[in-house]
Amino acid sequence: MAMRVAIRCLSANFSPRLPALSSAATRLLWRSDSPRTLSTTSLLSTALKFTDKHEWVRVEGGIGTVGISNYAQEALGDVVYCGLPEVGQRLELLEEFGALESVKAASELYSPLAGEVTEINTELAENPALVNKACYEEGWLIKMTIEKPEELEGLMDQAAYDSFIMSLED
Amino acid sequence: MELNLFLFWTLSPLAGDLVSLKPPQDHENHDDTPDLPAALCVNAASSPGLQVWFRSWMQGGRPTVEVVRLGLVSYQEALRLQQVYVNRHRSDPAHALLLCQHPPVYTTGIRHKPYPAPLLDRLRLLGADVHRTNRGGLITFHGPGQLVCYPILHLGSFKKSVRWYVSELEKTIISVCSRFGIDASTSPHTGVWVGDNKICAVGIHCGRYVTSHGLALNCNTDMSWFGHIVPCGIMGKGVTSLSAELQRDVCVEETVPQLLDAFRDRFHCLLTDGQTDKTERDGGGSSA
Repeated sequence: MAMRVAIRCLSANFSPRLPALSSAATRLLWRSDSPRTLSTTSLLSTALKFTDKHEWVRVEGGIGTVGISNYAQEALGDVVYCGLPEVGQRLELLEEFGALESVKAASELYSPLAGEVTEINTELAENPALVNKACYEEGWLIKMTIEKPEELEGLMDQAAYDSFIMSLED
Repeated sequence: MELNLFLFWTLSPLAGDLVSLKPPQDHENHDDTPDLPAALCVNAASSPGLQVWFRSWMQGGRPTVEVVRLGLVSYQEALRLQQVYVNRHRSDPAHALLLCQHPPVYTTGIRHKPYPAPLLDRLRLLGADVHRTNRGGLITFHGPGQLVCYPILHLGSFKKSVRWYVSELEKTIISVCSRFGIDASTSPHTGVWVGDNKICAVGIHCGRYVTSHGLALNCNTDMSWFGHIVPCGIMGKGVTSLSAELQRDVCVEETVPQLLDAFRDRFHCLLTDGQTDKTERDGGGSSA
């Protein structure tokens, strides 16, 4: 509780967007094992950004972790297979990098940024359902370098994404 | 009101979805579809997204789907044609429903590991073609006597949910079966079942909301081809066909009109007849 107050105090000084952090994102900020100073840059860099194809990316130490949003995992149904790229593969912005299979449907995944794949979530080979159960946490898909940090500006923050999905449901 | 709409459409950027302008509610008769000034029609023609919306608005909110009857085509050729229709969505968004039969072919989906090359080679020795594809679902068989249907739809005109789309395909087939007096159902395994036997397989691909691949309904298929695989990877279940269930010959030609009726009802769309030759495009207008 005190931690949330601390965030709100900082956010009042730095960015009007921070109070819009979802509770999931807030929990993520405090999960790290290493001691973290509450600088503006680190807080802003760990907020989720979204594409209009429902992928999210979270930046930590220059590496972006990519997954799909809650809206996407609900629209897919139970994921039974994750087709992911190879480590080292270079991706362009919006390039197809894999597919998720659910209910006999293979749905393409699109890269939110240009960069190189540094890690894939090997847990998903045995447990693809993590994508449904914990899409922002253990259900992450790939990690990648960020070749063009300015591309992050073109993505939606949590509030903009929430409005976007409300417009889809109209 | 009409003048304001005209100004809106001429001045606004040629964007994809016009979320602020909603089409009229879907209703059964089209007599009260309003007339629009010709100028509006001209401006609507200037962008693909606007075309789709405008067409849909004029039809009381129903998307048009072009029915394309391919006859007996190789799996390879059907893949090529599907890609033509998928690509068409980029420039001229228009939904299509491809209907065909294939010579004997086994196909697998994006999950490769259960089907190594030696297994696929053994299937080739039976005289069938074999293809790996980018659809969901495991191994299945297509052959003469099986009605194969590939809806190439943009889910933006329907509902942007793959789960919903697959469920609607299943319900369409259940409706076809009931028109033949067969009680079919869904199960935790995607597809349409009559008891423990699958009568219709479903496996689709979706990219940027455009669907491809589709469904395969056994009419009077030679079921012995299925004996060489575990269909869709599900042990302990069988396969069946309309003919097997009704104990009479039910051919693909008899089934097509039932499928088109059921599809039109379930997806709330209008069906038009398309040309099979891609160099000549029918303007459409008559419903199938």
